[in-house]
Amino acid sequence: MRHARIIFDGRELDITIDANDRITTTEGEALDVALDSDQINWLPPVKAPGTIFALGLNYADHATELAFEPPKEPLVFLKHANTLTGHKQTSYRPDNIEFQHYECELVAVIGKTGKNIKRENAMDYVAGYTVCNDFAIRDYLENYYRPNLRVKSRDSLLPMGPWIVDAADVPNANNLRLTTEVNGKITQDGSTKDMIFDVPFLIEYLSKIMTLNPGDMIATGTPHGLADMQPGDTVVCSIESVCSLETKIVSEKEYYGDNY
Amino acid sequence: MTAKTLVNSKLVCVALNDKTQLAALEATFNEAPYKKSPTQPVLYYKPHNTWSTDGAVVEWAKDFDGNDVAEMAVGASLGVVIGKKTCRVSTEEALDYVGGYTIVADYSLPEQNYYRPDIKGKCLDTSAPVGPEVVAADKVATPDALTVTISVNGEQKSAFSLANMERSVAELISIISRIMTLQPGEIIAVGFAGDRVSIAKGDKLEASIEGVGTLNNTLGGA
Repeated sequence: MRHARIIFDGRELDITIDANDRITTTEGEALDVALDSDQINWLPPVKAPGTIFALGLNYADHATELAFEPPKEPLVFLKHANTLTGHKQTSYRPDNIEFQHYECELVAVIGKTGKNIKRENAMDYVAGYTVCNDFAIRDYLENYYRPNLRVKSRDSLLPMGPWIVDAADVPNANNLRLTTEVNGKITQDGSTKDMIFDVPFLIEYLSKIMTLNPGDMIATGTPHGLADMQPGDTVVCSIESVCSLETKIVSEKEYYGDNY
Repeated sequence: MTAKTLVNSKLVCVALNDKTQLAALEATFNEAPYKKSPTQPVLYYKPHNTWSTDGAVVEWAKDFDGNDVAEMAVGASLGVVIGKKTCRVSTEEALDYVGGYTIVADYSLPEQNYYRPDIKGKCLDTSAPVGPEVVAADKVATPDALTVTISVNGEQKSAFSLANMERSVAELISIISRIMTLQPGEIIAVGFAGDRVSIAKGDKLEASIEGVGTLNNTLGGA
């Protein structure tokens, strides 16, 4: 089963989507609308977002691409809900920068509270999986708590969704094709099998430091294949058996409107 | 309001905002891996699991083998509580967006390195008490004139004058609001004394700011 949050017909709804793409609200109401309909306004799929963990350099080929040795310990940074947006929404390119790239990532959504979780029990704590695009603004990197918040904590630069797939429906999370298309052309093509630290490892690692809670998310990093994004570009991040996440890039001025 | 009411919210901390500390580390920061001194505020989050309250016991951290860590440290900061949605505001108008002030304590492993996000050191459960209350913004005329003190078992160990901050409260609100939109109730811990205070199991801690209050906590593990 898949789970999402949408605005439809003026109502904010928590929905489930069955194998035949039929949509039902949590109140049991069947919605007569197709999944690809423009009438659906997709929200980020986690209703009460907790701590968002993101991994840097978690694919060896991407680490090499950025001229880093693959890490011996996870490089983890944190994000908050201000960065989240949904499927088919907009993300912005800041003014006066040289390089903004996407990062297609598998996200594990935590479903249960736990501390000191053993690797072999880790999957009991995963409610499901979704996809995110963890954009980065490379111009803003500095060597302090790198990747710093100016790079990774910007509004709208973590689109996620469109839905969460139950973990039970993704038995092979460590072997999923992961692709990104920019304006219809494939620019990133990898597999979650090349992840250095997998989801069970990360759950064990993080839960040795801190308590994990429902609504926490772990964005597991991205493989090789970076490209710059410009306003007007459409980027689609896809992970086999999970979902495809579409985002349109707009200018900072267009995104912020009256607050610009 | 205390941390108990902060739900789906942010606690943003500013590291390296003590001019004395920055000057002392200048040579280090010109070397690898830093290569140059920071040009922007150095920010980190204390996530949900760290939030705690006045009077609470702060857990003594364990290492990856499950043993008690040898050392912990604490810093304290003025906590600027956002009063209304704050998006891309100027320095001049920034203080208009403050709802009130409180105290944030940041318990952690000793700060040894600023190169990578310090998840192991900073994200410990219960390590960010906030309180004891939020004092309305109009009760604090000049936040940058305050002094933050830390006492351990009744003896003062640290006094940090916010006049010694590299960036002022208003500058920080403005800069941060151009990275992320801040919501009512979210908090910025604007600056800590560069010398964090070393603490031991069972210590009784007081973080105080005159006119804002005193935040009392006890270290666990004793």
